[in-house]
Amino acid sequence: MAHQTLPPESTPPPPDAPASNGAMSEYDYSNFFYSSSDDLFTIFGAYDDWWYGHAREKGYYLFYQAMSTAPKPRIELEEGLHHEKRALLNLASYNYLGLSYHPEVIAAAKGAVDQYGLGAAGSPTLSGTMDVHVQLEQALARHMGKEAAMVFPTGYSTNVGLISGLVRPGDTIIMDQNVHASIVDGAILSKANTRFFRHNRPDELDRKLRDVKGKKLVIVEGVYSMDGDVALLPEMVAIAKKHGARIMIDEAHSGFVYGPTGRGVAEHFGLDDQIDIHVGTFSKALGGMGGYVAGSKSLINYLMGFARSRVFSCALSPVVTAGVLKALEISEREPQLRERLWANVAHLRKRFADAGVDVAESTSQIIPVMIRKDPRVFAIGEALLNAGLYLQPIIYPAVAKHKSRFRISVSSVHTPELLDSAADILIDVLQREKIL
Amino acid sequence: MSVLPEGFVQYHFRTAIGGFFEIPTANAIRILPPHLQPVEPHHGQSVLSVMAFDFHDSLVGAYGELIYSVHVAPRLAPGGRLPRAAFYPFLLGTTTKASREHAIERWHLPHFMDDIALTFDRGPHDIRINAAHGGKPIVDMHLTDHSWENVSHNYQCHMHDAAGSYQSTIVMEGPFSESEDERGSIVVHDHAFNAALDRGEINTTPFREMWLKDGLQTFHPLQLLVAP
Repeated sequence: MAHQTLPPESTPPPPDAPASNGAMSEYDYSNFFYSSSDDLFTIFGAYDDWWYGHAREKGYYLFYQAMSTAPKPRIELEEGLHHEKRALLNLASYNYLGLSYHPEVIAAAKGAVDQYGLGAAGSPTLSGTMDVHVQLEQALARHMGKEAAMVFPTGYSTNVGLISGLVRPGDTIIMDQNVHASIVDGAILSKANTRFFRHNRPDELDRKLRDVKGKKLVIVEGVYSMDGDVALLPEMVAIAKKHGARIMIDEAHSGFVYGPTGRGVAEHFGLDDQIDIHVGTFSKALGGMGGYVAGSKSLINYLMGFARSRVFSCALSPVVTAGVLKALEISEREPQLRERLWANVAHLRKRFADAGVDVAESTSQIIPVMIRKDPRVFAIGEALLNAGLYLQPIIYPAVAKHKSRFRISVSSVHTPELLDSAADILIDVLQREKIL
Repeated sequence: MSVLPEGFVQYHFRTAIGGFFEIPTANAIRILPPHLQPVEPHHGQSVLSVMAFDFHDSLVGAYGELIYSVHVAPRLAPGGRLPRAAFYPFLLGTTTKASREHAIERWHLPHFMDDIALTFDRGPHDIRINAAHGGKPIVDMHLTDHSWENVSHNYQCHMHDAAGSYQSTIVMEGPFSESEDERGSIVVHDHAFNAALDRGEINTTPFREMWLKDGLQTFHPLQLLVAP
């Protein structure tokens, strides 16, 4: 049958047509992901209209602001709207143990650039593996108490390479609905059946696992990056085992800070040996970049052949690798860094509790300051910036509607005095904005 | 009161509610005509919206309406504006024959071809609907409110039947509440109305809840997209 395709609506409605407010100012990224047209680039017009006409000035400029210092407790950055330099208190960086600019870490990186040059100049499979990579993998395996470990160039590529390297079409991946995008993308690339269970709900995991046949992988995180809450790992592990599923934990935000020796939330719960696959990053507590998988020798050996994001990427820069190796050594040598971190977390939490600041279910060093009134969050972000405090707004679709917030990352290098100053600014702004 | 331009039709409602539920994309693809692509909030999960209207003034009088839709990628012309969302209603049930015949003829919307019973139980901050047919329950849904503001929202509605594929802009106006607090619930019963759905796979908690009170729904003229 011949079909006649007519063009979609392109003419404006008549002047006397009823109000047709597209409410562009209320749109967000989610409105521009899907569209259907005859040209891939048609979406650019609508997106530019939104971005330059509404979003940027409304507050999206608060993202992508360029910092010109190390991510220390006091930083300098260029404000994104008027491009003015600002000196700010920083509670936004992941640098949980303050290691990204530790003198020994910097010295190790400087030594490595002299020895190896800037980059690895090859895939780890071919010419890109240097002795410093092997040393880091051995140190990681020892730290984690596992047979072997494998280093990836980024945290993102770790999850993508691991999951797509291990799981196949017909298998099933069941993951918490709040897992990181890299886990979701790894699952998509694997072409396995994927299911999400409601956040941190063991009963939902149990329901989703029922009647699933074949190979199964359950994925949770140690600490969830937007809410700062900790996985209910004992319950999750018990359910996964009941259903014969393998279990993977991503300790991106909990590695090197949780547990008696810093192995993460799995160690915190005494479940180290119950977890099949441990994943983590070097970009948070260790202040570098890259990621790792730790587990059995057989797991790592298999991934050497099939983790395509690693096989087909240049190896992690030896400069960063040497810095991360030194940062790992310091984190093991100086447990007082973790003790100071948790003392800082307790200090700031008490300030917030006394002032009635809403931090939702968070129990970790990630403290979400809940605003909940989505249209207000950018104005509050601007007020914080003007008052001298750097915090990132987190908005829909990164979090649910009416769950907008500012995310605080506490570090061991914050001092109680600096945390008090930051809390004073935050509480004052929230009171002025009638959030408190 | 302004006169509506030709082709525009308005419906006044006391209540319009919608719950958005995740369903497997495989189920959504079975429902959708080939030219429409489902929107996935999570990989492998598409969106079923269950909406209920309590119309008190329209061309065909007062009636209740239950609508099952799948959310789809909106069509966008060069220089055009994106709607707030686009959806494909795949089954409607109404409480009167006149409203059913009107929607089939005017808007090419697919209907359950018998009257349904639709009750709204409104509380100050929550609302329950129960839909039934022939004494058997179809669906029970409970939704909650959050905060209210006056809105005018553009949606894109897609229709498809033996005569072709169509789209229309629908403008929804009135006091509006929207939330993702996961406080609502749904029970989808074993009933012929639900035959297109994998009932066991529907998430029983809506990830989004919408509620409009005492508002106005305006259909823009139907556009033929694909003709035989």
